[in-house]
Amino acid sequence: MQNDIQRLLTVANKVILGKDRQIRLAVCCLLARGHLLIEDIPGVGKTTLAYTLAKLLGMNYQRIQFTSDILPADIIGASVFDAKNHEFKFHPGPIFNQMILADEINRSTPKAQSALLEAMEERQVTVEGVTYPLPEPFFVIATQNPSHQIGTFPLPESQLDRFLMRLELGYPDPNSERQLLMGQNRHQIIQTLPAQITPLQLQALQQAIGKVHVSSALLDYCQAIIYFTRHSSDYVCGLSPRAGLALLTAAKSWAFMDQRNAVIPEDLQAVLAAVAGHRLKAGAVDSAAIVAPILAKVAVN
Amino acid sequence: MINPAYNKNILIFLLSSIGLIALPHAYHLPLPVFGFFAVLLVWRFLGVWQPQRLPKGLLLLLVSVGGLALLYSQHSGILGRDAGTSLFLIALGLKLMEIKSERDLYLVNYLAFIVAASQFLYEQSILMAAYILFVCCVLFATLVFINSYVANTRVALKKASVIIAQAIPMAIAIFILFPRVEAPRWLLFNQQQQAKTGLSDSMEPGSISDLGLSDELVFRVKFTGAIPPPQLRYWRGPVLSQTDGKRWTQAKDLSYQQRAKATFSGTVYQYTLLMEPQDKNWVFALELPAALPKTLRQNAVLQLLSVDALNQRTEYSLSSYAQYNTGASTPQEIQQAKQLPATPSYKMKQLVRQLGGFDSTPEVFIGQLLTHFRQQDFHYTLTPPLMENNPVETFLFETRYGFCSHYASAFVTLMRVANIPARVVTGYQGGELNAVGDFLEIKQAQAHAWAEVWLDKQGWIRVDPTAAIAPERIEKNIDINQLLPGGAIHYVAPSSEAQAAFNWLQKTRQLWGNVDYSWQRWVINYNNANQSHFLSSFGIEDFKDMVYWMGAIIAVIVATLSGFLLYQKPTTVDHTLIVYKRFLKKLAKAGFNQGVGEGARDFAERIKPKLPTHAPSIEEITEAYLQQRYGVKASAVGLQHLKTLVNHFKI
Repeated sequence: MQNDIQRLLTVANKVILGKDRQIRLAVCCLLARGHLLIEDIPGVGKTTLAYTLAKLLGMNYQRIQFTSDILPADIIGASVFDAKNHEFKFHPGPIFNQMILADEINRSTPKAQSALLEAMEERQVTVEGVTYPLPEPFFVIATQNPSHQIGTFPLPESQLDRFLMRLELGYPDPNSERQLLMGQNRHQIIQTLPAQITPLQLQALQQAIGKVHVSSALLDYCQAIIYFTRHSSDYVCGLSPRAGLALLTAAKSWAFMDQRNAVIPEDLQAVLAAVAGHRLKAGAVDSAAIVAPILAKVAVN
Repeated sequence: MINPAYNKNILIFLLSSIGLIALPHAYHLPLPVFGFFAVLLVWRFLGVWQPQRLPKGLLLLLVSVGGLALLYSQHSGILGRDAGTSLFLIALGLKLMEIKSERDLYLVNYLAFIVAASQFLYEQSILMAAYILFVCCVLFATLVFINSYVANTRVALKKASVIIAQAIPMAIAIFILFPRVEAPRWLLFNQQQQAKTGLSDSMEPGSISDLGLSDELVFRVKFTGAIPPPQLRYWRGPVLSQTDGKRWTQAKDLSYQQRAKATFSGTVYQYTLLMEPQDKNWVFALELPAALPKTLRQNAVLQLLSVDALNQRTEYSLSSYAQYNTGASTPQEIQQAKQLPATPSYKMKQLVRQLGGFDSTPEVFIGQLLTHFRQQDFHYTLTPPLMENNPVETFLFETRYGFCSHYASAFVTLMRVANIPARVVTGYQGGELNAVGDFLEIKQAQAHAWAEVWLDKQGWIRVDPTAAIAPERIEKNIDINQLLPGGAIHYVAPSSEAQAAFNWLQKTRQLWGNVDYSWQRWVINYNNANQSHFLSSFGIEDFKDMVYWMGAIIAVIVATLSGFLLYQKPTTVDHTLIVYKRFLKKLAKAGFNQGVGEGARDFAERIKPKLPTHAPSIEEITEAYLQQRYGVKASAVGLQHLKTLVNHFKI
């Protein structure tokens, strides 16, 4: 099974150059059934990453471009009067797809943001009293611009918490940039990408991840991290129990991708920045710097 | 790692605690010195947010030189208590300007502890001790703050309180048992500011129309046996025998004269006198004390004086008798006690004649005169009218309103007109019984004046004319809380049920008085002599015993606390971790240390390139450790395997 993942990563790395770690974290997030938030300035490949992942995982893919005038109905769909049958018929919106790319989510108003984020949490949509389940698996990859840019509505902490991970892409290194400039159009490459994993395989992988062993020594370390965030003066607000669960799930996924059947502290450390960064300091962008005190001060043994 | 010297929370905490520690010095040190310190502290406070505003280089040098110049101008030197304390305070303020590393934080903290201790050079009251203990708690919390990665004010304060609580038994043991060294007094106490004004050495009854009644404590008396009844509680102070008609003053020459020994009889009262600081060296004993400690002497008119200045609380053990005979007098003393400012007026002579002053015995005349006061229209008041000219006659024949001074001066004047030696004695009368501590508290409001008459064979006899006119003044204490100018006088009757519980304020005051008294007796006055006396009651006689006992008690306390710590340790032991730590120790000897937050895998990957020959065994141990500690199948065999690997690992 792990071979499938390895293959997937290899292909993805060929499309998005020089971002091995971010791609690995993104895949880790999806394997842990988590939604992903990518935050960076425009043009560094946020959309390309999301598109590539959708293609490689062989899922129905729909992109929703968030703008300041988008309405909830534009996302989840609306009931339209059917003149032929003399009744209202529900026309599902773009959210009824396995993978949603919510592009520039913080450019829309909080109302539209909430519509998406509620669907993410419940994995179902209720319109006019009727509940429609969303397809399985269901992933949201949202991208957002740094909140200092013009025309953004920052997501509140409670909604940021819905995303398992937040990633920053950053500029490519000179070599990758050179290759990028020389190579063919990314869009064309993605169009021709074959799916590497079937949805059925993905489900099997997700189940396998649930079986990764977590020892009590590891839980001690995990709790020490949570305790630290709650009592340290470095953070205004510590990690919530939900965040603790998210951290552990992501660490299990990471251990699985590393072909191990037990989580070790390094797994927690590897996912910590992506999982805890946006939960500890919503405003700041540099997740690695946010979690640096934890990595430096919380004892492993 | 972030430098704690730039951590805002730590700095705010430290600076606040330093502000608290230095605050009481505002009353003790010259204002410019404290002001200088305050400016530095505020400057540093601003520097927390704007570090670029802190003085550097030349400016800092100028500030330092300025501080030293200020110190020199205020104290002209650095010797002595005030100068030394100022030096510490200024040094602390200057050190605040250059907190650059963690080490500086510690240094400032320890300096603050010294400044805290210096407060005791000025004031040793129980309130100050409590305050210093509180501030020490804050300073400890600052230390906790610097050393903990989870910096939380409440947690730090709690931990500091626990540290203080653990230290208190040790402090008590050392306080009781540590050999006391008596520091030379001039070194510690050269201050006068605590002394309070008490009785005056003169009396002018006509010129005061309002007797100042203050609730201020003068001294306390603890009786070992019976407490004398209120009518015997006369605390003797200055004796006034000189008068110019208005003003009564002490005789010119009061130096000690060889005089006949007094004889005593009746009930003996043994008591300890605890004087509050005074600006005069008068000690108020019950009537006439029988034996005197070395630190006291008695002057020609039987007033007690202390050898040293009374600028701190002082304790005296005395005993007095219900009856005494002062013994023979000197002609000079008799002469002084007959002095009159001028030839008595016809009116006066007439009154004396009428009361049998010229033709009966002195005893009869005294009785007649007291009856005269009682039966005629005389009144006792605390707010008498002013009597500018010839106050004695005005009082006797016109106003007839007055308090103890008026009665005493009129009585003595009339005695002298009848050619009987008499003089005015001032002091205190009565005393409030502190029911909690079972001692008497004598306050300024209980100041009193009475008369003393010389009778052949009986010596000097006390006569209190005020008792004749207002016996309740002698039996009870004036209730100062209910006193209004010109209003009726209320008395506190300790016997009556309703009055005894008249308010809780009184009770609280008594309780506090008792705490303060005990503190003074058992803590402040615990000197060399008291220590050996106290310890010998436990059979600890000499220095060697003292040291042995101190060692033993400290050992017991340390053992108890260590036992407590051991008990707190989690009982589950991770054997895998112990074995792995042995491996880490071996690597540490070779100079490879695992970081605090560094996992075993990361550590192995880091050191393998540096130790290529050991790389396989490091990998093997790390793998076995991770498998055993975090893996699915941890087993005894796995642990044994890890042990063998670690034991064979050599570097």
